Amino acid sequence: MPIIDVKDLAKKYPLPDNKSEFFYAVDGISLSIEAGEIFGILGPNGAGKTTTLEMLEGLNDIDGGSAFIDGIDVAADPYKVKEIIGVQLQANEYFDNVSLVELLTLFAALYSCEVDAKELLAKVNLLDKAQAKPANLSGGQQQRFSIACALVNSPKVLFLDEPTTGLDPQAKHNLWDLVRELNSAGMTIVLTTHNMEEAESLCQRIAIMDHGKLVAEDTPQNLILKHAPEPPKAPLHGNIEDVFLALTGHGLRD
Amino acid sequence: MPTRLQLHLAKVFLKIFLRDRQSIFFSLFFPIIFMTVFGFVNSGEVDPIELGIVNNSPSTVATDFAQMLIDNPLFTVTMGEETRLRTELVEGDQTMVLILPESFDAQSNGAELQLLVDAAQVQQLGLIMPLLEQTLISIEREFRNIEPMFTLTVEDVQARSQRYLDFLLPGLMAFTLMQLSIAGSGFNIVEYRRKGVLKRLFVTPIRPRDFITSIVLARMAIVLIQLTVLIAFAVLALDVNIVGNFASFYFIVMLGTFIFLCLGFCLGSIAKTQQAVMAVGNIVIFPQIFLSGVFYPIESMPELIQPIAKILPLSFVSTAMREIANNGASLIAIMPSLIGIAVWFIIGFILATRLFVWKEVAN
Repeated sequence: MPIIDVKDLAKKYPLPDNKSEFFYAVDGISLSIEAGEIFGILGPNGAGKTTTLEMLEGLNDIDGGSAFIDGIDVAADPYKVKEIIGVQLQANEYFDNVSLVELLTLFAALYSCEVDAKELLAKVNLLDKAQAKPANLSGGQQQRFSIACALVNSPKVLFLDEPTTGLDPQAKHNLWDLVRELNSAGMTIVLTTHNMEEAESLCQRIAIMDHGKLVAEDTPQNLILKHAPEPPKAPLHGNIEDVFLALTGHGLRD
Repeated sequence: MPTRLQLHLAKVFLKIFLRDRQSIFFSLFFPIIFMTVFGFVNSGEVDPIELGIVNNSPSTVATDFAQMLIDNPLFTVTMGEETRLRTELVEGDQTMVLILPESFDAQSNGAELQLLVDAAQVQQLGLIMPLLEQTLISIEREFRNIEPMFTLTVEDVQARSQRYLDFLLPGLMAFTLMQLSIAGSGFNIVEYRRKGVLKRLFVTPIRPRDFITSIVLARMAIVLIQLTVLIAFAVLALDVNIVGNFASFYFIVMLGTFIFLCLGFCLGSIAKTQQAVMAVGNIVIFPQIFLSGVFYPIESMPELIQPIAKILPLSFVSTAMREIANNGASLIAIMPSLIGIAVWFIIGFILATRLFVWKEVAN
């Protein structure tokens, strides 16, 4: 039985210039994600990726269809679902003047659980920043910290909304390593991304969305076989990212 | 009673709020200045009344009478011509002018004294008239050699003198706790929403009831610290008297803080922007400043407004605090106010939890 089971999920919004008419931001999506998968959702801006995640996270009302996570009906029991999921939002803001350790303590309190903040920070490689404030972290450190916050309740499913957007290649690879590590410990991970390399190398299965609908869903290999055009006769020598990494090295810059 | 989860969360929030020492400190600035100014402005007695006397009588009785008025600290007396004093009265330099007729002497029988006033200016006429009459009577007695049948000795049964500042302080405390509480919850909520903090919290399984209670408890602790500083300042620096029981006083302070924090939460849930919450906040705050007996007793307000004024939350809180601070009333003695506070307590909490819908406030 899949850990996430979505059938005909829909979300409608009133049109901005005509409030009596609706458009569907998410238009009948069905997904089934197995436990232990890294599942990627791809799509252009406005395709409905974030809205889909927000409905699964209980942040947004479900206007049609159904969603079950670990057998719990999201629409009927959102609080119960929130207890078993971890969420990293696209924008992450916290209280001012509060250190990482204190924030993790706060989040643990919100889940009514105890947490070893130091251990969690060590997991995301931020132990030396324990007393720092989130505002003083670099982009990659902020993303890793927001993942740490999402891990305080030891979730079964982790949702990441564009986790690597805006990161430099070193920070990006470092974050992928973290995701793989969490996944190898058995955590199911659902992420949205614009980064094709991320989708191809990190995700075990991919769904591609456009205009609120699912246009394709499969493993990266199968999708390439099915939809990619024939490769050019003379192969290219890698891409600019390979050049960038060859020149600046793989070492993490934080 | 708060649950363990709420208490634990409140502790965490308290630590977070205490980080913002600057705003905690500066929010005390205004009430302290306010108290100090009122403390100095109203420290003296009533201003003496400018009294002009036109003495048309050559008798010594008239001179003595005038002298008695000059000696009375309630009056600042100017002697002079009727025409000059009349002009001064019209111009506002004199509050009233007393004309002693020519026939004013020891033999006089019902001589008529004329008092010129600008009725628009003299609200205290009712107070002054008996005083003048009493001065006349004592002069009369002296000249007719009559011993007064009765004398009145006034004994102050209150252990201390009550200044306006003593009256003002409990009201000012109530007003300050309202301000601090509404700002502490309402404005904060809007700020958290704007920054996206609420959305992040909404992803966790925290219930609105638990969230509100823990924030309110944490804020309450801070407001109590702030008020303690203010009371200490008032008692030590301004020599304000608090007669009643401090525990009862703080009990009311805590209930009041809870009410206004909840009402602040309602504002924060309704208003979507910082500007809007300021505007809506003023709608709640301003009428209460003037109608809730903070600066003057509700009883001195127009009859029509009194019933409305009396049921405002700040009225119940400030009345209760004043009864305790000024008159040493017990909690049982202020039961009517306590009932009002309890009703607002329930209304505030229900409204706050109803209006605070995660989906609405977080997005």
